[in-house]
Amino acid sequence: MSAISVQRLSKSFRSKVRPEGLGSSLKSLIAPSYREVEAVREVSFEVEEGEVVAFLGPNGAGKSTTIKMLTGILRPSSGYCSVLGLDPSRQRTALARSIGAVFGQRSQLWFHLPPSDSFRLLGAVYEIEPEVLARRVPELVERFGIGPYMDMPVRKLSLGERIRCEIAASLLHAPKVLFLDEPTIGLDLVVRREVRALLSEIARRDGTTVFITSHDLGDIERVCKRAIIIHHGGVVVDESMKELRHRSLSRKFIGVKYASPVDFELGGLKPVKRTETAASYVVDTNEHRLPEVLRALVGRGELEDLTVEDEALEDIIARIYAAGASTGEAGL
Amino acid sequence: MDRVKAYLRFLGTSFAVNVQAVVEYRANFLVQTFGMMLNNAAFAFFWAVLIGKVGNVGGYGFADVMLIWALVSSSFGLSHAAFGNVRSIGQIVQRGELDLYLLQPKDVLLNVLASRTVVSAWGDFAYGFLVLALLPGLSPGRFALFAVLIVIGAAIFTATFAAAESLCFFLGDATGISSAVTEFMLSFSLYPESIFGRGMRWVFYTILPSAYIAYVPLAAMKALDWGLIPPLLGIACLYAAASYGFFRLGLRRYESGNQMGARI
Repeated sequence: MSAISVQRLSKSFRSKVRPEGLGSSLKSLIAPSYREVEAVREVSFEVEEGEVVAFLGPNGAGKSTTIKMLTGILRPSSGYCSVLGLDPSRQRTALARSIGAVFGQRSQLWFHLPPSDSFRLLGAVYEIEPEVLARRVPELVERFGIGPYMDMPVRKLSLGERIRCEIAASLLHAPKVLFLDEPTIGLDLVVRREVRALLSEIARRDGTTVFITSHDLGDIERVCKRAIIIHHGGVVVDESMKELRHRSLSRKFIGVKYASPVDFELGGLKPVKRTETAASYVVDTNEHRLPEVLRALVGRGELEDLTVEDEALEDIIARIYAAGASTGEAGL
Repeated sequence: MDRVKAYLRFLGTSFAVNVQAVVEYRANFLVQTFGMMLNNAAFAFFWAVLIGKVGNVGGYGFADVMLIWALVSSSFGLSHAAFGNVRSIGQIVQRGELDLYLLQPKDVLLNVLASRTVVSAWGDFAYGFLVLALLPGLSPGRFALFAVLIVIGAAIFTATFAAAESLCFFLGDATGISSAVTEFMLSFSLYPESIFGRGMRWVFYTILPSAYIAYVPLAAMKALDWGLIPPLLGIACLYAAASYGFFRLGLRRYESGNQMGARI
């Protein structure tokens, strides 16, 4: 059974058109005009149990709206979605018992109280038996290394400490699916790595299905096995991280540095950046044979350095976004 | 039965956590609680001077006015001490903060209401009991009747304010209307019924039901009449059900948001 099933899911919002100027504003008081904004457009995908899926897209692509429909916060305008076989908008309460959610921008912990008090309250919210809670909390405290912060008011915790407590809190009721919306937003490099390691462990050890949106591609590369990219409300890419990486195989980034100035023109291939002694090229291997290009570069002068790299994931996704922006569809 | 037990545990823990959160700032808690009691006491002084000069107002003597103040103050206080978010629903909806409550396996309205306590409301709540204790004729029966009446009053206050706040689902911003409802409810409750005309009285027996918080309970207290409790309970249930239904209707229109926020 799919953990998450989404079929032609759409969400539109009615937005008031606000004309410029006082006169137009007054006119709109009597005869307001509205327009439909399509935030999510016929999105379809399936996520199997235990999968770790990245849900990507530029700002305003519809990621958060989709997650909110999957968690029962918003009702779809059309289409259908189910999580663990439940309809989120009709069976919200039943679903809430089996899913966890971490929204990086919102806290479920009480700001003025220590996490231990929030955990106690969340135990009551999720109806966890007191003896089960008494076992579960120390287990999570140890696993997330949050022992020193459990008795400090949340307002006194750093963002990194807080987000670790947030993720631990979202796992109190042992959810089968974990939704994370920008979990590493605002975190420094070290804490981001810690959070990624924790997320990977949750998926590996507990078999939890993880559905994560993030602008940080480090999160995606290290934690996820599959990426769904949406743009302008629709899915433009849905493939494994491996396949996504393969998209870059036909593009190689070559950097060269010579001991003395050389001519960097290589037949039809021009450098994208150059100085007198160094240059970088983007080589499309469908048009140029890589060994020939490398041979030509080696023979051009006395080499000091030569690098050949695949395209960074960030650039691949940026190109997908850009292609989506200009055509409304996927393309590389 | 298990459901009821689970909800009682949730409400009890929620209340305990809310109290812990406000007691964290001890000085603020004490200043606001006793400040509110002093504020209410100032009105007692005003009424004492007025009634001392004119004899009675609309047929109410000083003891009647004080009893009304005790009932309304404790009902209002209980409503805001137990359900502190009752007049913040609009703000929570506008900021998209309802997301958090929708993610939890609890009734959304009850969860929102029970997630906060208002510090000054503790002063209001205590003030009513203080006045009752100072008025002549205190007895266990009178005390028990007062306690039941303020629970009913708190339920009606909560239902009315929650309904007014739920207008934000339909209007976008209903802050002004909600504030007006609060002002009207308190004004109608804290003055003698007979000073208002028939039209106004119709209002506070229907859309702004302050009569069931002040005038009917006053009559019950004066006659120590428990017979008024069943109809008052029925009326409170009716308003609570209507308010709940109105909130659920509005919830279908909830559009969420992306503003950053924390649970205070």
